[in-house]
Amino acid sequence: MKQRFSIPALAAAAVLLLAGCTSAGSGSGGDGPSVTPVKGGTVQVLLNADFSHLDPVQGFDGGVNNFYRLIYRTLTTQSTGEGAKGTEMVPDLATDLGTVSDDGLQWTFTLKDDLQFEDGSPITSADVKFGVERSFDPAIAVGSPYARLTIAGTDGYQGPYITGDLPSIQTPDDQTIVFTLKEPFADFASVVGQNSFTPFPADTERVTTTSLDKMPIASGPYKVDSYERGSQLELVRNDAWDPKTDDVRKAYPDGFDFTFGLDASTIDERMIAGQGDDANAIAGSVQAASISRIQTPALKARTVAGLQGCTTYLGLNTTKPNMDNPLVRQAIAYAIDRESVKDASGGSQLADIATTMLPPTVAGHTDFDLYPSKDNAGDPEKAKELLAEAGLPDGFSFTLDIRSQPKMQAQAEAVQQALAKAGITVNFNLIDTSTYYEVIGTTSQQNDAAITGWCPDWASGSTFLPPLFDGSQIFPKGNSNIAQLNDPAVNERIAEIRAMTDADEANAAWGALDEQIQKLVPTVPLLFEKTVMVVGANVAGAYSHAGYSGGIDYVSVGLSSADK
Amino acid sequence: MSSSVPSELTTVAEEAGAPVGAPTPARRVIATLRSSPPVLLSVAFIVLVVLLAILAPLITAISGWGPCTFDKSAVDSDLGGVPIGPLGGISAEHWFGVEPGNGRDIFARIAFGAQVSLSIAVSATIVTTVLGVVLGMLAGFYGGWVDQVVSRVMDFLMAFPSLIFMIALLSALPAGNRPVLLVVVLSLFGWPYTARVVRGQAMSLRTSEFVESARASGAGGIRIVFREILPNLRGTIIVLATLAVPGYIGTEAGLSFLGVGVTPPTPSWGQMIATAVGWYAVDPMYFLIPGTFLFLTVLSFTVLGDRLRKALDSGDAAS
Repeated sequence: MKQRFSIPALAAAAVLLLAGCTSAGSGSGGDGPSVTPVKGGTVQVLLNADFSHLDPVQGFDGGVNNFYRLIYRTLTTQSTGEGAKGTEMVPDLATDLGTVSDDGLQWTFTLKDDLQFEDGSPITSADVKFGVERSFDPAIAVGSPYARLTIAGTDGYQGPYITGDLPSIQTPDDQTIVFTLKEPFADFASVVGQNSFTPFPADTERVTTTSLDKMPIASGPYKVDSYERGSQLELVRNDAWDPKTDDVRKAYPDGFDFTFGLDASTIDERMIAGQGDDANAIAGSVQAASISRIQTPALKARTVAGLQGCTTYLGLNTTKPNMDNPLVRQAIAYAIDRESVKDASGGSQLADIATTMLPPTVAGHTDFDLYPSKDNAGDPEKAKELLAEAGLPDGFSFTLDIRSQPKMQAQAEAVQQALAKAGITVNFNLIDTSTYYEVIGTTSQQNDAAITGWCPDWASGSTFLPPLFDGSQIFPKGNSNIAQLNDPAVNERIAEIRAMTDADEANAAWGALDEQIQKLVPTVPLLFEKTVMVVGANVAGAYSHAGYSGGIDYVSVGLSSADK
Repeated sequence: MSSSVPSELTTVAEEAGAPVGAPTPARRVIATLRSSPPVLLSVAFIVLVVLLAILAPLITAISGWGPCTFDKSAVDSDLGGVPIGPLGGISAEHWFGVEPGNGRDIFARIAFGAQVSLSIAVSATIVTTVLGVVLGMLAGFYGGWVDQVVSRVMDFLMAFPSLIFMIALLSALPAGNRPVLLVVVLSLFGWPYTARVVRGQAMSLRTSEFVESARASGAGGIRIVFREILPNLRGTIIVLATLAVPGYIGTEAGLSFLGVGVTPPTPSWGQMIATAVGWYAVDPMYFLIPGTFLFLTVLSFTVLGDRLRKALDSGDAAS
């Protein structure tokens, strides 16, 4: 399952920006973020929070996944480019997207020639296998779960340090790797692009469970030069990386300097001023309060924006009294004033209104609005009718779990106001930021509803709808099916789509399933939030990558002049 | 009783002892205060804020905007939700402008925020005064193990890093009724400051002649404490209470600023200031208005308490 909301939660800091829509500015200073960068120079990155982990089997959120591409390579990876183009899977270490056996259980990948780690030693299939095996070690198995979910014979397997060899991954020669799956998984080419498929030298002495967090071993175009946890990370070129083996990473600058621990307002001030080295800087999304300050032509020319690719939604716990009544849930869906939720989240530049669960960046996204209202402002009259029909003519009250963080509180207040018009009283249960997802993911502790978000692990409905709506995926702890929806028709359909081998057919089916699920109103989609980022005047090639929560694609960004 | 003990306490004791005695010292204190412009201004502002708080529902009914009513038309969605119009959206419609993002009326939130602030501060003052006076008097009058126990508890609470503990306590406790929780937490750490002063005064009164005579005439301990000593502490208690109110207003605002105060959407000045911080460059009025109200309220109570003490003290010297 994927992190909900890594981005908004981390004050948007862990992420970079996207580019794109706004490079219309003429005139002013720099060449703008859309020109092709030159080789050389150092890109500065200003961030609020440090990356969760440098060890790729542990880190797993939009911000850190984006960063991993600078130093690590995987069998496949996401492409580059704005929108859906960027979320397409392309070969990386592998020569192609893999070959599947007739029974759909065996996937074979062949490595390219001349692949090397930063120390010049060759990257072999055994190293890839070792990297995957590491992700099963119980001490570090906190990142991407897809290797565990798909590969056969992993029950009780505890990684190379404890158990040893994993027979379901075979390496007939140095360049060939064969995975045996539990059951057919059409999207396995996307699975091998997950962080846990990063190769490391197959040496349990040299690569331990803790060594990579301190000093990674690079396979990508950059390597770590120095790292001070929480304050500074410097990347320099990895000379052992051969650009001829890599069609994805442009790697324009000679290095990256990441600065962590900066206050979000400080970052905004520095990016707007753009003085000195900050002309070469990129950062995460600006705060709502800064939006009106970046409307000058000069700053607009330095702004890149894009969708985060996530959905912010109101989850309704269908096991609670009143909430178990579909009419009540429909009433809530009608009464919500999405326009005011959007304004509370920073207005039209920072959010689009969502009426579907699947965001537009996910293949198969189908547009529909089952509970429409004029200007998306909510329809309290219709809601009252439905409540009366449900036997609650005087309304009712429920408790909404919210995270004690300004933006999420503002969203909750907007929901509260809108529902009050329909006679529904919303009480808040304020939960500390650090324990919020743990509390709402514990079925015994969650209340009637919660505002949360979900980002797909790759641009497919298969990493979005099943974790949120599959009745077989309700867990007492770490639950992501917040609605606790357990609808036989939905469960059955999820299983059917998973078995489809044709990707396009499956995508279309996910889109249709989204609508089928929304008829049951287990959740009320609220917003597709966006990132709006200001980049330095000398930054070029910056755009918002939909696969990395709308952050600026690190492997494509560079400078327009290398010696500024 | 003779005037052989020329203290304020004796003066008050005489007054208390005379059932129909005119409250000359009180009148004199009031006269002194009335001649001081800072006190008059402070009292005027306090009266204004109190009226604002009491009449909040009425005033907002007139203005037409409640404290939680969103006004989408007052903010610009395309500019991050910044208020439309100069000075943070101040207009005939919204007298103090609106909050960015949601367009809630700042005047209504200030008025209802005053209600929250004052009721919490006054409740906490009442609780701490009652607790502090009773425990302080008992400790001072009885001495011995009663004093030991009360004094050690006071030392313990005063040595505690109270703000940090309040934050921890309020974040750990279930949401429940936040205003009541705030009063409890503020009182828990506040009463020793009153009790310590009261204890000292009670200790000196314990050996005074009127206490001796009351004891000689057969009065019991509790009766002496509440009938003889308490009336003599009136002046001190009034001053302590007046000075405690601004302290609690400030602490409540501080806790709300840190996100552990009253739960949204209940308006609170501290919370408004906290949200306004990010907007200072774009919408300074959003910060200035609650900031000014908080500042002036705390200042007014402090000036009043300070002058009151001076007036009472100088009264002693004069008599």
